Amino acid sequence: MNMEHYIIQTVMGLIGSVAFAVLFGIYDRKLIWIAFGGGAGWAVYLVCTSGGHSRFVGLFISALCIAAFSEILSRVIKAPVIMLLVPMLIPEIPGGDLYYTMYYLVQGNYTEFGNYANQVLAEAGAIALGIILASYAAKLIFSVHAHAKQYVELRERKNEEECYKE
Amino acid sequence: MVQSEMGEIEDKNGKSDAEMNMYLSSAVEAGALLLMYGAEVSRVEDTIMRLCVAHGFSGAEVFTITSSIVVTASCSDGRKLTQTKRIRMHVNDFGRVEKINALSRKLCAGDIDPKVFRRAIVRVRNSRGAPPLLNMCMYMIISASLSVFFGGTWADGAAAAISGIVLFAMVRMSEILRMNSMIQAMVCSAVTALAVLILVRIGIGSQPDKIMIGNIMLVIPGIQLTSSLRDMINGDTVSGLLSMSDAVLKAVCVALGFALVIIALGG
Repeated sequence: MNMEHYIIQTVMGLIGSVAFAVLFGIYDRKLIWIAFGGGAGWAVYLVCTSGGHSRFVGLFISALCIAAFSEILSRVIKAPVIMLLVPMLIPEIPGGDLYYTMYYLVQGNYTEFGNYANQVLAEAGAIALGIILASYAAKLIFSVHAHAKQYVELRERKNEEECYKE
Repeated sequence: MVQSEMGEIEDKNGKSDAEMNMYLSSAVEAGALLLMYGAEVSRVEDTIMRLCVAHGFSGAEVFTITSSIVVTASCSDGRKLTQTKRIRMHVNDFGRVEKINALSRKLCAGDIDPKVFRRAIVRVRNSRGAPPLLNMCMYMIISASLSVFFGGTWADGAAAAISGIVLFAMVRMSEILRMNSMIQAMVCSAVTALAVLILVRIGIGSQPDKIMIGNIMLVIPGIQLTSSLRDMINGDTVSGLLSMSDAVLKAVCVALGFALVIIALGG
Protein backbone atom coordinates (compact mmCIF):
# COMPACT_ATOMS: atom_id res chain seq x y z
CA MET A 1 0.00 0.00 0.00
CA ASN A 2 1.62 3.20 -1.14
CA MET A 3 0.89 6.84 -0.45
CA GLU A 4 -0.98 7.37 -3.69
CA HIS A 5 -3.42 4.61 -2.81
CA TYR A 6 -4.08 6.19 0.60
CA ILE A 7 -4.80 9.58 -0.94
CA ILE A 8 -7.18 8.13 -3.53
CA GLN A 9 -8.95 6.15 -0.82
CA THR A 10 -9.35 9.21 1.42
CA VAL A 11 -10.71 11.33 -1.43
CA MET A 12 -13.14 8.59 -2.43
CA GLY A 13 -14.33 8.23 1.16
CA LEU A 14 -14.86 11.99 1.28
CA ILE A 15 -16.94 11.95 -1.92
CA GLY A 16 -18.97 9.04 -0.56
CA SER A 17 -19.69 10.95 2.68
CA VAL A 18 -20.87 14.03 0.83
CA ALA A 19 -23.05 12.03 -1.57
CA PHE A 20 -24.66 10.16 1.33
CA ALA A 21 -25.27 13.49 3.06
CA VAL A 22 -27.12 14.77 -0.03
CA LEU A 23 -29.12 11.53 -0.11
CA PHE A 24 -30.05 12.18 3.55
CA GLY A 25 -31.51 15.59 2.73
CA ILE A 26 -28.65 17.94 3.58
CA TYR A 27 -28.15 20.59 0.90
CA ASP A 28 -26.53 23.64 2.50
CA ARG A 29 -23.11 24.71 3.74
CA LYS A 30 -22.92 21.77 6.15
CA LEU A 31 -21.74 19.66 3.21
CA ILE A 32 -18.34 21.37 3.41
CA TRP A 33 -18.00 20.40 7.08
CA ILE A 34 -19.15 16.88 6.32
CA ALA A 35 -16.58 16.59 3.51
CA PHE A 36 -13.87 17.74 5.88
CA GLY A 37 -14.96 15.41 8.68
CA GLY A 38 -15.39 12.40 6.41
CA GLY A 39 -11.96 12.80 4.83
CA ALA A 40 -10.18 13.62 8.08
CA GLY A 41 -11.81 10.67 9.85
CA TRP A 42 -10.50 8.21 7.28
CA ALA A 43 -7.08 9.88 7.38
CA VAL A 44 -7.00 9.33 11.15
CA TYR A 45 -7.83 5.65 10.60
CA LEU A 46 -5.04 5.30 8.02
CA VAL A 47 -2.52 6.99 10.30
CA CYS A 48 -3.48 4.68 13.19
CA THR A 49 -3.33 1.47 11.17
CA SER A 50 -0.09 2.35 9.42
CA GLY A 51 1.32 3.20 12.86
CA GLY A 52 0.96 -0.48 13.75
CA HIS A 53 -2.37 -0.50 15.58
CA SER A 54 -5.11 -3.02 14.80
CA ARG A 55 -8.05 -1.96 12.68
CA PHE A 56 -10.36 -1.96 15.70
CA VAL A 57 -8.17 0.58 17.49
CA GLY A 58 -8.06 2.61 14.26
CA LEU A 59 -11.84 2.56 13.88
CA PHE A 60 -12.34 3.39 17.55
CA ILE A 61 -9.98 6.37 17.44
CA SER A 62 -11.33 7.71 14.17
CA ALA A 63 -14.94 7.33 15.37
CA LEU A 64 -13.95 9.13 18.58
CA CYS A 65 -12.38 12.00 16.60
CA ILE A 66 -15.34 12.28 14.22
CA ALA A 67 -17.86 12.19 17.06
CA ALA A 68 -15.95 14.81 19.05
CA PHE A 69 -15.69 17.02 15.96
CA SER A 70 -19.41 16.72 15.21
CA GLU A 71 -20.37 17.35 18.87
CA ILE A 72 -18.40 20.59 18.85
CA LEU A 73 -19.56 21.57 15.37
CA SER A 74 -23.22 20.89 16.17
CA ARG A 75 -23.05 23.37 19.04
CA VAL A 76 -21.30 25.97 16.91
CA ILE A 77 -23.60 25.84 13.89
CA LYS A 78 -26.70 24.77 15.88
CA ALA A 79 -27.60 21.56 14.08
CA PRO A 80 -28.53 18.11 15.45
CA VAL A 81 -25.44 15.98 16.08
CA ILE A 82 -26.78 13.00 14.18
CA MET A 83 -27.04 14.83 10.86
CA LEU A 84 -23.32 15.59 10.95
CA LEU A 85 -22.18 12.35 12.52
CA VAL A 86 -23.82 9.74 10.29
CA PRO A 87 -22.58 11.07 6.91
CA MET A 88 -19.07 11.63 8.30
CA LEU A 89 -18.88 8.02 9.50
CA ILE A 90 -19.71 6.53 6.07
CA PRO A 91 -16.12 5.45 5.21
CA GLU A 92 -15.83 3.60 8.54
CA ILE A 93 -19.17 1.75 8.27
CA PRO A 94 -18.42 -2.00 7.90
CA GLY A 95 -20.88 -2.55 5.05
CA GLY A 96 -18.56 -4.71 2.98
CA ASP A 97 -17.73 -7.02 5.88
CA LEU A 98 -21.41 -7.26 6.80
CA TYR A 99 -22.07 -8.38 3.25
CA TYR A 100 -19.31 -11.04 3.33
CA THR A 101 -20.65 -12.33 6.69
CA MET A 102 -24.08 -12.91 5.21
CA TYR A 103 -22.66 -14.14 1.91
CA TYR A 104 -20.75 -16.94 3.65
CA LEU A 105 -23.83 -17.74 5.73
CA VAL A 106 -25.88 -18.12 2.55
CA GLN A 107 -23.15 -20.24 0.94
CA GLY A 108 -22.91 -22.48 3.99
CA ASN A 109 -19.24 -21.74 4.71
CA TYR A 110 -19.56 -21.55 8.49
CA THR A 111 -15.88 -21.04 9.36
CA GLU A 112 -15.62 -17.88 7.26
CA PHE A 113 -19.05 -16.83 8.46
CA GLY A 114 -17.89 -17.01 12.08
CA ASN A 115 -14.72 -15.05 11.36
CA TYR A 116 -16.53 -12.30 9.50
CA ALA A 117 -19.40 -12.13 12.03
CA ASN A 118 -16.92 -11.59 14.87
CA GLN A 119 -15.10 -9.00 12.84
CA VAL A 120 -18.24 -7.03 11.90
CA LEU A 121 -19.54 -6.97 15.47
CA ALA A 122 -16.16 -5.87 16.81
CA GLU A 123 -15.88 -3.13 14.15
CA ALA A 124 -19.39 -1.81 14.67
CA GLY A 125 -18.88 -2.04 18.43
CA ALA A 126 -15.62 -0.09 18.24
CA ILE A 127 -17.33 2.67 16.24
CA ALA A 128 -20.34 2.75 18.59
CA LEU A 129 -18.07 2.93 21.63
CA GLY A 130 -16.16 5.85 20.11
CA ILE A 131 -19.40 7.72 19.43
CA ILE A 132 -20.76 7.10 22.95
CA LEU A 133 -17.53 8.13 24.67
CA ALA A 134 -17.35 11.40 22.74
CA SER A 135 -21.00 12.22 23.31
CA TYR A 136 -20.75 11.57 27.07
CA ALA A 137 -17.55 13.59 27.31
CA ALA A 138 -19.36 16.47 25.60
CA LYS A 139 -22.34 16.14 27.95
CA LEU A 140 -20.04 16.04 30.97
CA ILE A 141 -18.08 19.11 29.90
CA PHE A 142 -21.23 21.11 29.21
CA SER A 143 -22.92 20.11 32.47
CA VAL A 144 -19.77 20.97 34.45
CA HIS A 145 -19.76 24.31 32.64
CA ALA A 146 -23.44 24.91 33.49
CA HIS A 147 -22.89 24.01 37.16
CA ALA A 148 -19.89 26.29 37.38
CA LYS A 149 -21.91 29.12 35.90
CA GLN A 150 -24.73 28.51 38.39
CA TYR A 151 -22.28 28.45 41.26
CA VAL A 152 -20.69 31.74 40.21
CA GLU A 153 -24.09 33.40 39.89
CA LEU A 154 -25.16 32.12 43.30
CA ARG A 155 -22.01 33.47 44.85
CA GLU A 156 -22.41 36.88 43.24
CA ARG A 157 -25.96 37.08 44.51
CA LYS A 158 -24.81 36.19 48.02
CA ASN A 159 -22.12 38.87 47.88
CA GLU A 160 -24.69 41.43 46.77
CA GLU A 161 -26.99 40.47 49.61
CA GLU A 162 -24.17 40.80 52.10
CA CYS A 163 -23.29 44.21 50.74
CA TYR A 164 -26.91 45.20 51.07
CA LYS A 165 -27.02 44.04 54.70
CA GLU A 166 -23.96 46.00 55.59
CA MET B 1 -40.92 35.19 38.57
CA VAL B 2 -42.84 32.70 40.73
CA GLN B 3 -45.99 34.77 40.48
CA SER B 4 -46.03 34.74 36.68
CA GLU B 5 -45.39 31.00 36.57
CA MET B 6 -48.29 30.39 38.93
CA GLY B 7 -50.51 32.57 36.78
CA GLU B 8 -49.61 30.62 33.67
CA ILE B 9 -50.34 27.26 35.29
CA GLU B 10 -53.75 28.48 36.44
CA ASP B 11 -54.46 29.71 32.95
CA LYS B 12 -53.65 26.30 31.44
CA ASN B 13 -55.74 24.59 34.13
CA GLY B 14 -58.88 26.00 32.62
CA LYS B 15 -58.32 24.23 29.31
CA SER B 16 -60.53 21.34 28.29
CA ASP B 17 -59.48 17.75 27.73
CA ALA B 18 -59.95 18.15 23.98
CA GLU B 19 -57.53 21.05 23.83
CA MET B 20 -54.91 19.34 25.97
CA ASN B 21 -55.28 16.23 23.84
CA MET B 22 -54.58 18.31 20.75
CA TYR B 23 -51.45 19.75 22.36
CA LEU B 24 -50.29 16.27 23.32
CA SER B 25 -50.94 14.95 19.82
CA SER B 26 -48.83 17.68 18.23
CA ALA B 27 -45.97 16.86 20.61
CA VAL B 28 -46.29 13.14 19.78
CA GLU B 29 -46.49 13.91 16.06
CA ALA B 30 -43.27 15.91 16.23
CA GLY B 31 -41.57 13.03 18.05
CA ALA B 32 -42.90 10.51 15.54
CA LEU B 33 -41.52 12.53 12.63
CA LEU B 34 -38.13 12.77 14.35
CA LEU B 35 -38.07 9.00 14.87
CA MET B 36 -39.24 8.30 11.33
CA TYR B 37 -36.58 10.50 9.76
CA GLY B 38 -33.65 9.02 11.66
CA ALA B 39 -33.16 10.74 15.03
CA GLU B 40 -31.92 8.68 18.00
CA VAL B 41 -34.42 7.21 20.46
CA SER B 42 -33.01 9.11 23.43
CA ARG B 43 -33.28 12.41 21.56
CA VAL B 44 -36.90 11.69 20.60
CA GLU B 45 -37.83 11.01 24.23
CA ASP B 46 -36.08 14.16 25.37
CA THR B 47 -37.79 16.30 22.70
CA ILE B 48 -41.29 14.97 23.49
CA MET B 49 -40.70 15.63 27.20
CA ARG B 50 -39.65 19.22 26.54
CA LEU B 51 -42.51 19.81 24.10
CA CYS B 52 -45.06 18.57 26.65
CA VAL B 53 -43.73 20.96 29.28
CA ALA B 54 -43.73 23.81 26.74
CA HIS B 55 -47.37 23.04 25.88
CA GLY B 56 -48.36 23.52 29.52
CA PHE B 57 -48.31 19.99 30.96
CA SER B 58 -46.74 19.61 34.39
CA GLY B 59 -44.81 16.51 33.35
CA ALA B 60 -44.68 13.60 30.94
CA GLU B 61 -43.60 9.96 30.90
CA VAL B 62 -42.29 8.95 27.50
CA PHE B 63 -41.42 5.45 26.35
CA THR B 64 -40.03 5.08 22.85
CA ILE B 65 -38.78 2.13 20.87
CA THR B 66 -37.96 2.19 17.16
CA SER B 67 -41.49 1.21 16.14
CA SER B 68 -43.69 2.97 18.70
CA ILE B 69 -44.07 5.94 21.04
CA VAL B 70 -46.14 5.94 24.26
CA VAL B 71 -46.63 9.21 26.14
CA THR B 72 -48.58 9.84 29.32
CA ALA B 73 -48.68 13.53 30.16
CA SER B 74 -50.08 14.89 33.41
CA CYS B 75 -51.82 18.23 33.75
CA SER B 76 -51.23 20.32 36.85
CA ASP B 77 -54.77 19.60 38.13
CA GLY B 78 -54.11 15.86 38.20
CA ARG B 79 -55.64 14.78 34.88
CA LYS B 80 -53.60 12.32 32.88
CA LEU B 81 -53.70 11.91 29.12
CA THR B 82 -52.12 9.03 27.15
CA GLN B 83 -51.38 8.71 23.46
CA THR B 84 -49.66 5.99 21.45
CA LYS B 85 -48.13 6.30 18.01
CA ARG B 86 -47.05 3.41 15.84
CA ILE B 87 -44.16 4.05 13.43
CA ARG B 88 -43.91 1.81 10.40
CA MET B 89 -41.61 3.68 8.05
CA HIS B 90 -37.99 4.63 8.57
CA VAL B 91 -36.19 6.92 6.13
CA ASN B 92 -33.06 8.91 6.79
CA ASP B 93 -33.86 12.55 6.06
CA PHE B 94 -31.81 14.79 8.32
CA GLY B 95 -33.05 17.97 6.62
CA ARG B 96 -36.49 17.34 8.15
CA VAL B 97 -34.98 16.32 11.50
CA GLU B 98 -33.21 19.65 11.60
CA LYS B 99 -36.40 21.58 10.74
CA ILE B 100 -38.41 19.85 13.48
CA ASN B 101 -35.57 20.37 15.93
CA ALA B 102 -35.49 24.09 15.16
CA LEU B 103 -39.28 24.34 15.49
CA SER B 104 -39.36 22.64 18.87
CA ARG B 105 -36.48 24.77 20.07
CA LYS B 106 -38.46 27.87 19.07
CA LEU B 107 -41.58 26.59 20.81
CA CYS B 108 -39.70 25.86 24.04
CA ALA B 109 -38.17 29.34 23.97
CA GLY B 110 -41.68 30.79 23.53
CA ASP B 111 -41.03 32.35 20.11
CA ILE B 112 -44.00 30.67 18.41
CA ASP B 113 -47.33 29.54 19.85
CA PRO B 114 -48.67 25.95 19.76
CA LYS B 115 -51.04 26.56 16.84
CA VAL B 116 -48.25 27.84 14.60
CA PHE B 117 -46.09 24.91 15.73
CA ARG B 118 -48.81 22.41 14.84
CA ARG B 119 -49.24 23.87 11.37
CA ALA B 120 -45.49 23.96 10.77
CA ILE B 121 -45.15 20.29 11.78
CA VAL B 122 -47.85 19.29 9.29
CA ARG B 123 -46.05 21.30 6.62
CA VAL B 124 -42.77 19.50 7.31
CA ARG B 125 -44.54 16.14 7.15
CA ASN B 126 -46.17 16.94 3.82
CA SER B 127 -43.19 18.61 2.17
CA ARG B 128 -41.79 16.99 -0.95
CA GLY B 129 -38.58 15.02 -0.85
CA ALA B 130 -35.56 15.46 -3.08
CA PRO B 131 -36.03 15.23 -6.87
CA PRO B 132 -35.44 11.66 -8.15
CA LEU B 133 -32.81 12.77 -10.65
CA LEU B 134 -30.62 14.20 -7.87
CA ASN B 135 -30.97 10.99 -5.89
CA MET B 136 -30.05 8.96 -8.94
CA CYS B 137 -26.88 11.02 -9.40
CA MET B 138 -26.04 10.43 -5.74
CA TYR B 139 -26.55 6.68 -6.16
CA MET B 140 -24.09 6.78 -9.08
CA ILE B 141 -21.52 8.85 -7.20
CA ILE B 142 -21.75 6.72 -4.05
CA SER B 143 -21.45 3.45 -5.98
CA ALA B 144 -18.49 4.66 -8.02
CA SER B 145 -16.56 6.29 -5.17
CA LEU B 146 -17.05 3.47 -2.69
CA SER B 147 -16.14 0.77 -5.16
CA VAL B 148 -12.84 2.57 -5.80
CA PHE B 149 -12.56 3.11 -2.02
CA PHE B 150 -12.72 -0.64 -1.40
CA GLY B 151 -9.97 -1.34 -3.91
CA GLY B 152 -11.58 -1.29 -7.35
CA THR B 153 -9.95 0.23 -10.42
CA TRP B 154 -11.35 3.27 -12.24
CA ALA B 155 -13.10 1.00 -14.76
CA ASP B 156 -14.75 -0.81 -11.86
CA GLY B 157 -15.93 2.56 -10.57
CA ALA B 158 -17.52 3.35 -13.92
CA ALA B 159 -19.25 -0.02 -13.96
CA ALA B 160 -20.48 0.60 -10.39
CA ALA B 161 -21.96 3.94 -11.47
CA ILE B 162 -23.93 2.21 -14.23
CA SER B 163 -25.18 -0.56 -11.95
CA GLY B 164 -26.02 2.19 -9.43
CA ILE B 165 -28.62 3.45 -11.92
CA VAL B 166 -30.13 -0.04 -12.08
CA LEU B 167 -30.19 -0.21 -8.29
CA PHE B 168 -31.85 3.20 -8.04
CA ALA B 169 -34.51 2.21 -10.57
CA MET B 170 -35.22 -0.98 -8.59
CA VAL B 171 -35.40 0.82 -5.24
CA ARG B 172 -37.69 3.45 -6.71
CA MET B 173 -39.95 0.85 -8.30
CA SER B 174 -40.28 -1.21 -5.13
CA GLU B 175 -41.09 1.97 -3.18
CA ILE B 176 -43.89 2.77 -5.61
CA LEU B 177 -45.18 -0.82 -5.41
CA ARG B 178 -44.92 -0.68 -1.57
CA MET B 179 -43.00 -3.92 -1.34
CA ASN B 180 -42.11 -5.51 1.99
CA SER B 181 -38.67 -4.20 2.97
CA MET B 182 -37.05 -7.67 3.15
CA ILE B 183 -38.35 -8.68 -0.28
CA GLN B 184 -37.29 -5.28 -1.57
CA ALA B 185 -33.72 -5.77 -0.35
CA MET B 186 -33.56 -9.22 -1.96
CA VAL B 187 -35.02 -8.24 -5.34
CA CYS B 188 -32.97 -5.04 -5.60
CA SER B 189 -29.71 -6.78 -4.85
CA ALA B 190 -30.46 -9.70 -7.19
CA VAL B 191 -31.19 -7.42 -10.15
CA THR B 192 -28.13 -5.28 -9.38
CA ALA B 193 -25.90 -8.36 -9.23
CA LEU B 194 -27.27 -9.45 -12.59
CA ALA B 195 -26.49 -6.02 -14.03
CA VAL B 196 -22.93 -6.15 -12.64
CA LEU B 197 -22.28 -9.61 -14.12
CA ILE B 198 -23.59 -8.50 -17.51
CA LEU B 199 -21.38 -5.39 -17.39
CA VAL B 200 -18.31 -7.51 -16.62
CA ARG B 201 -19.16 -9.89 -19.49
CA ILE B 202 -19.46 -6.92 -21.86
CA GLY B 203 -16.07 -5.74 -20.69
CA ILE B 204 -16.74 -2.76 -18.43
CA GLY B 205 -14.91 -3.39 -15.16
CA SER B 206 -13.03 -6.54 -14.24
CA GLN B 207 -13.66 -7.41 -10.55
CA PRO B 208 -17.39 -8.08 -9.97
CA ASP B 209 -17.02 -8.24 -6.17
CA LYS B 210 -15.38 -4.80 -5.95
CA ILE B 211 -18.05 -3.32 -8.22
CA MET B 212 -20.80 -4.85 -6.09
CA ILE B 213 -19.37 -3.52 -2.82
CA GLY B 214 -20.05 0.02 -4.04
CA ASN B 215 -23.68 -0.89 -4.68
CA ILE B 216 -23.96 -2.93 -1.49
CA MET B 217 -23.15 0.06 0.70
CA LEU B 218 -26.41 1.63 -0.51
CA VAL B 219 -28.67 -1.29 0.42
CA ILE B 220 -26.90 -3.01 3.30
CA PRO B 221 -27.94 -1.60 6.70
CA GLY B 222 -24.43 -0.84 7.98
CA ILE B 223 -25.47 2.50 9.46
CA GLN B 224 -28.41 0.81 11.16
CA LEU B 225 -26.18 -1.88 12.67
CA THR B 226 -23.76 0.70 14.04
CA SER B 227 -26.49 2.92 15.46
CA SER B 228 -28.26 -0.06 17.02
CA LEU B 229 -25.08 -0.89 18.92
CA ARG B 230 -24.84 2.77 19.91
CA ASP B 231 -28.42 2.66 21.25
CA MET B 232 -27.61 -0.45 23.25
CA ILE B 233 -24.50 1.05 24.83
CA ASN B 234 -26.52 4.20 25.50
CA GLY B 235 -29.04 2.23 27.59
CA ASP B 236 -31.90 1.85 25.08
CA THR B 237 -31.50 -1.91 24.96
CA VAL B 238 -34.92 -2.77 23.55
CA SER B 239 -34.66 -0.32 20.63
CA GLY B 240 -31.12 -1.44 19.96
CA LEU B 241 -32.08 -5.12 19.83
CA LEU B 242 -35.07 -4.40 17.60
CA SER B 243 -33.15 -2.42 15.02
CA MET B 244 -30.19 -4.80 15.20
CA SER B 245 -32.30 -7.85 14.41
CA ASP B 246 -33.95 -5.86 11.62
CA ALA B 247 -30.53 -4.92 10.25
CA VAL B 248 -29.23 -8.51 10.37
CA LEU B 249 -32.34 -9.86 8.64
CA LYS B 250 -32.09 -7.24 5.93
CA ALA B 251 -28.38 -8.00 5.48
CA VAL B 252 -29.23 -11.70 5.03
CA CYS B 253 -31.78 -10.75 2.37
CA VAL B 254 -29.27 -8.54 0.54
CA ALA B 255 -26.64 -11.29 0.62
CA LEU B 256 -29.21 -13.86 -0.50
CA GLY B 257 -30.14 -11.69 -3.49
CA PHE B 258 -26.52 -11.19 -4.56
CA ALA B 259 -25.45 -14.75 -3.79
CA LEU B 260 -28.30 -16.40 -5.69
CA VAL B 261 -27.35 -14.63 -8.89
CA ILE B 262 -23.60 -15.17 -8.40
CA ILE B 263 -24.02 -18.89 -7.68
CA ALA B 264 -26.51 -19.32 -10.52
CA LEU B 265 -24.34 -17.58 -13.12
CA GLY B 266 -20.96 -18.49 -11.63
CA GLY B 267 -19.55 -14.94 -11.55
